[in-house]
Amino acid sequence: MIFRLALASLAARALTVGMTILAIALSVALFLGVEKIRTGAKASFSDTISGTDLIVGARSGSVQLLLYSVFRIGNATNNVTWESYQDIAARPDVDWIVPISLGDSHRQFRVMGTTAAFFEHYKYRQGRSLEAAEGLVMDDLFDAVIGADVAATLSYNVGDPIVVAHGIASFTEHDDQPFRISGILEKTGTPVDRTVVVSLEAIEAIHVDWQSGRQASGQSTSVEAIRAMELTPNAITAALIGVESPLQTFALQRAINEYTQEPLLAILPGVALQDLWGIVGIAETALLAVSMMVIVTALIGMMATIFSSLSERRREMAILRAMGASPRLIVGLLVFEAVLMSAMGALLGLAFLYIGLIVAQPIIDSAFGLWLPIEAPTQREIWVILAVIGASAIVSLIPAIRAYKTSISDGMMVKT
Amino acid sequence: MTRTISLMALLATTPALAEENRQLDPHEHGVGILNIAIDGTAVAMEFQAPGADIVGFEYAAESEADHAKIDAAVATLMDPLNLFALPDAAECTVTQASAELESEEHEEHTGETGHTEFHAEFTFTCVNSASLSEIAFPYFDTFENARKLEVQIATTTGAHAFEVERDAPLLDLRDLY
Repeated sequence: MIFRLALASLAARALTVGMTILAIALSVALFLGVEKIRTGAKASFSDTISGTDLIVGARSGSVQLLLYSVFRIGNATNNVTWESYQDIAARPDVDWIVPISLGDSHRQFRVMGTTAAFFEHYKYRQGRSLEAAEGLVMDDLFDAVIGADVAATLSYNVGDPIVVAHGIASFTEHDDQPFRISGILEKTGTPVDRTVVVSLEAIEAIHVDWQSGRQASGQSTSVEAIRAMELTPNAITAALIGVESPLQTFALQRAINEYTQEPLLAILPGVALQDLWGIVGIAETALLAVSMMVIVTALIGMMATIFSSLSERRREMAILRAMGASPRLIVGLLVFEAVLMSAMGALLGLAFLYIGLIVAQPIIDSAFGLWLPIEAPTQREIWVILAVIGASAIVSLIPAIRAYKTSISDGMMVKT
Repeated sequence: MTRTISLMALLATTPALAEENRQLDPHEHGVGILNIAIDGTAVAMEFQAPGADIVGFEYAAESEADHAKIDAAVATLMDPLNLFALPDAAECTVTQASAELESEEHEEHTGETGHTEFHAEFTFTCVNSASLSEIAFPYFDTFENARKLEVQIATTTGAHAFEVERDAPLLDLRDLY
């Protein structure tokens, strides 16, 4: 009886009720959407690098080393000498080691010197390897492999020449040794997308004629002469390490951190990512708080519409009382109506979320490299929806109690 | 250019050679470190805690009582499953355990008391390592001065860090798998 009554009552005020439901739906969709982006961002953040057990660089802070070696943000305090690198590489517990040399740039993108092993061992999103979308992974000295964002922003194709600049944002370009783009990597959603990858030897090669940061005048080594040179680097910026077994991770980390010949730092990427997320994660909490406030606002809006409907419905309440309804039933009716509205709002919000996800998923993935999975609502999301419905029941109690009082004082007659 | 750099490197390192290398590990009272590595059925742990947490003092043991305290602590540390409780379902057995008290030497300032630290290393074999869903820490009941353990776990899928506090001495590992 009460169910039919509530439905009919809501239907009679379709416009206001519809608006209230829409407000709740939008607020729920916003909250769940923020939640999705938050978890998606966190997952894709911690998926930036996987499969690497240790990152080695000059002794600084773990977050700093992670920032410049993986995210290419900021600079190294020092380089790692080639001797130390080889010392570490020769250790029996090192399964593989990939050197990284940073410091040059191409337009706004960083250039990274490394070995072909980088493409084999750099993994992201739980063990996915880098794949070439076009062309091949480098094999010539002057081959460059570029990330998807580099290719898209500068509209480069395989075979195009590319000039690498000395330092970051410097105007002196190494135009006497043109590189050729040998391959373009698939979009990964990691900083690799914004990187130009060349071989470690190539980084040395472009600096052959550069003495103390300035090109010696009238001196230009021909490309052929450079090819004939032995281009062993003096130093690298950092190195990625895979251990034989996780059991050796901590021992190797300690050995590197206590390496007396050179102050080095070895970090566990997963732990450093956690540290870094601890810093950037504050924004996520703020975002969550804001979207929570939007839900609260929608619920207060619902309370306001119920309040304003009370005076219109005084006659209706009086008739219900005349028909034998107890004041408690009136409270029940109002609360039930509110619960129905918020439940419909929450379901509609969920529908909005999924429609939004289906539309936006490919766009967000290609624009931000953020993969938002479309999956059944998580337990947490279901709890949020139930909490919204529960909160609406509590919120509607306030006007319902008012209705209870007036329906008693009004009795069966409305005296106006 | 190569020559310039190596010469500079040489110049830069010379003063360092003249003096000895000096470095010290961080040392925070109340905070211990536990590193756990899991590879198949093999589990390895490294434990490190300030002397103050374990025996309540960090001076060189003087009295009989001090020595007895240290010996008792080392004996306790040699039984890791009573400190870091692994689930029964994992069927873990200790294959190796070692524990000792290390003191940081302050040779230049004799008379100044250095810090001491307990170091321990354990290896386990866990028949069902997949059942390593949580670790409980009776450690905090055993050693009353310990407030916090910084736990790092390395598995084949990567490394994670946790902080286990005295108030909540339980570590949930289910998210790792």
